[in-house]
Amino acid sequence: MARPMGSVRLKKTNPATLAVGVALCIFIIYFLIGPSTSDFSASRKATAAAHHLSPPTSPFRKPTGDKQKPPPVAHYNLNNVTTTPNPLENRENILLLTPMARFYQEYWDNILRLEYPHELITLGFILPRTKEGNDATRELQKRIALTQNQGPEKDRFKSIIILREDIDPPLTSQDEKERHKMENQKARRAAMAKARNSLLYSTLGPATSWILWLDADVVETPPTIIQDLASHDQAITVPNCFQRYWNEEKNEMDERPYDFNNWQDSPTALDLAKKMDPDDILLEGYAEMATFRTLMAYMSRENGRLHEEMPLDGVGGAALLVKADVHRDGAMFPPFAFYNLIETEGFAKMSKRLGWQPVGLPNYKVYHYNE
Amino acid sequence: MLPLASSGSKVTPRHHGAGYSDGYPRSKTFDISPHRYQPRSTNPAHRRRTQSLVRIGLVAILFLLVLYTFSRGSSSSSSGGALSVLSLGLLSSGGADFELETVRYHDLSNVQGTARGWEREERILVCVPLRDAEAHLPMFFSHLRNLTYPHHLLDLAFLVSDSKDNTIGVLTESLESIQASEDEAMQFGEISIIEKDFGQVVNQDVESRHGFAAQAGRRKLMARARNWLLSAALRPYHSWVYWRDVDVETAPFTILEDLMRHNKDVIVPNVWRPLPEWLGGEQPYDLNSWQESDTALALADTLDEDAVIVEGYAEYATYRPHLAYLRDPYGDPDVEMELDGVGGVSILAKAKVFRYGVHFPAFSFEKHAETEGFGKMARKLGLSVIGLPHYTIWHAYEPSVDDIKHMELAQEQAEKEKAEKTRKMKESFSDATGQWEKDKVELQNIAAQERKKEKEAAAAAAAAGDAGAAAGRVANGKADPKAAAGRVQEKAVRHEELEGGKT
Repeated sequence: MARPMGSVRLKKTNPATLAVGVALCIFIIYFLIGPSTSDFSASRKATAAAHHLSPPTSPFRKPTGDKQKPPPVAHYNLNNVTTTPNPLENRENILLLTPMARFYQEYWDNILRLEYPHELITLGFILPRTKEGNDATRELQKRIALTQNQGPEKDRFKSIIILREDIDPPLTSQDEKERHKMENQKARRAAMAKARNSLLYSTLGPATSWILWLDADVVETPPTIIQDLASHDQAITVPNCFQRYWNEEKNEMDERPYDFNNWQDSPTALDLAKKMDPDDILLEGYAEMATFRTLMAYMSRENGRLHEEMPLDGVGGAALLVKADVHRDGAMFPPFAFYNLIETEGFAKMSKRLGWQPVGLPNYKVYHYNE
Repeated sequence: MLPLASSGSKVTPRHHGAGYSDGYPRSKTFDISPHRYQPRSTNPAHRRRTQSLVRIGLVAILFLLVLYTFSRGSSSSSSGGALSVLSLGLLSSGGADFELETVRYHDLSNVQGTARGWEREERILVCVPLRDAEAHLPMFFSHLRNLTYPHHLLDLAFLVSDSKDNTIGVLTESLESIQASEDEAMQFGEISIIEKDFGQVVNQDVESRHGFAAQAGRRKLMARARNWLLSAALRPYHSWVYWRDVDVETAPFTILEDLMRHNKDVIVPNVWRPLPEWLGGEQPYDLNSWQESDTALALADTLDEDAVIVEGYAEYATYRPHLAYLRDPYGDPDVEMELDGVGGVSILAKAKVFRYGVHFPAFSFEKHAETEGFGKMARKLGLSVIGLPHYTIWHAYEPSVDDIKHMELAQEQAEKEKAEKTRKMKESFSDATGQWEKDKVELQNIAAQERKKEKEAAAAAAAAGDAGAAAGRVANGKADPKAAAGRVQEKAVRHEELEGGKT
């Protein structure tokens, strides 16, 4: 009886087990593929680099095996990287760069509100090697982890680079009063320029079309700022930086001009510069040194046209949209006196020497944090 | 236990417990009682039901899977599709199944560059600007393979601009074969081939490249190309950047370590080139590495804002000390010299130099552009810029238009001389033939005379009747032409000897 029974069992149970096995296999495969595809859309995967030695503006595949293949021979055709007035339509990559000394939640919230597709935005940060910098890094990493790992798909950025400065901080205090003292300005701004350049030239890569410089204390911008500024199709486009504050006379929230580094040159300033030592710098916004330049901060009109343009000779760094070509040609933030100008103002001058004209938008406002 | 499992709820063994009370099943009894063993065939309906359930489940799962793959195929714009997912899912779990990392963290104080970078695994970015360089690539790759710095720490970046030849093809092929080589020590790190056309107006041949008038524009364009290459290839993990021209013919394999050991922000070797013997055997090549002079500074003040001073042209006499002219072939290769302008054939610089913003000015920066402006800008930032006068690498020799003219002239000269020689030779030979003719005529005359004499003698002999004497005279006459031929031969040999002496 035992033998026939055995064969019977074999004959009859075989297809069923097989079916169950196949079903199980399919389920396993399904769940193996499942989670990773739900994490990132296919287009994100398509832009990922195969190796961790790759442009930081792309995400990369985490190495799986213990033995890694050598990096592939990668081709980049920069003739095909466009910078057009309609970056959205051409799916142009944006590099959003922020030198950060303190972390402001409002800054991060504002970034998350940007309406430009986040899968086309790479964020780059550079933080000083101070205790304050450590704190800011920790805060920043916490928010990044939340957004990139648990946040909704549309909030996640293409990739994020966090850099720590190699420059010894010239000033220990980030206190507003101390920071703006005139004699401290050259050293402070030279260090700032080095930090900006380090951030820029370590992250630019071969795919970036536009660079948006946004200071860590700019807490409010229109969510369409990238599209709006790019629509001007200018090499360098600068919005007007204001600050919201509590006006005690009027007893209501009010706004006032903040960034005075956006200006048009004046004969007085040019004369002053002529008399100066070539290594000295001419600063804006100090009573000791009246330059009589035309400041964009004061050019804003109550009901002026939002997209009104004015050519500029000096720019500030609070918010700045730059075509990648400008930086690629070599226009950087001089950490030395360049035509008696330094950092962002020197950048405007260097761009002009390379044939790129900065343009300001007096009525297009972004807002600085009020401490 | 035996029957219970298969008979299921139909069996209630407790009621029949007495039957098993002794612990043994009753044997040799026929009993149609519920505790009897029941074969599986008793519940076919139940089994059929489960089987059909499994089948339905299977179909449902397959259906879901197909649905899933198709939805995935349509959602992704990339080629992928259902087939690849199926094959990847069934054949291998790797490939499409990977996790992405989107966040990178780098502390730039870890990539400052030190004197013994190879021990600290410091990465070097090797930048090579290329234009119509196909012919030089095989030599360049032989240099690259021979570099002793650990290859996996070298990231290669090439900028190919405005090329009409197959630079890209040859480059790609060579690099891919290196990366696929079995010797892992050969494989390099990140490799980027970047294409960007700047709309080159200047020709690439030696004359138009080095002509004075073309220099400023050409240097500014070269500067742009270098900046585009660097900005696209520099990464946060680089400690050093090495610029190398593709047409270097001879350089030590240890050049990276040799330059790095000095631990300077910017350092360049001396660059010479070999020359044909008639031009002196060798020559300083790179005149862009120099120290600033007061004359040059005074000259700079007189020029307008956009002017560019270029070294090595009579139009701008700067009287600067050049690195190239200070070479002593037997000097200590470690001797250093401070520089203000540098040449671009072979520059090793710390990556932080470029990070701080120093670049190749594509505008007139203190009256200089490109690599010379780069040196000046680095000095402006207080960085060290050093040249090694006695450490020499050799640039390939390409004859200039003047050299080519000179060579053509030399060839013409040689041809003229040759023509002269053959003419002379012909003359001297025609002398010989003339002599031969003369001799022939003479001989014929002699022969005729002999014959006359013979006739006369024959007549005389006939008259005298002595035949023997006449035969002897004929033999004498025949020997005469032989002697003449011997004379001619002698002459020719002497002529040949003369020729040999000349050559």
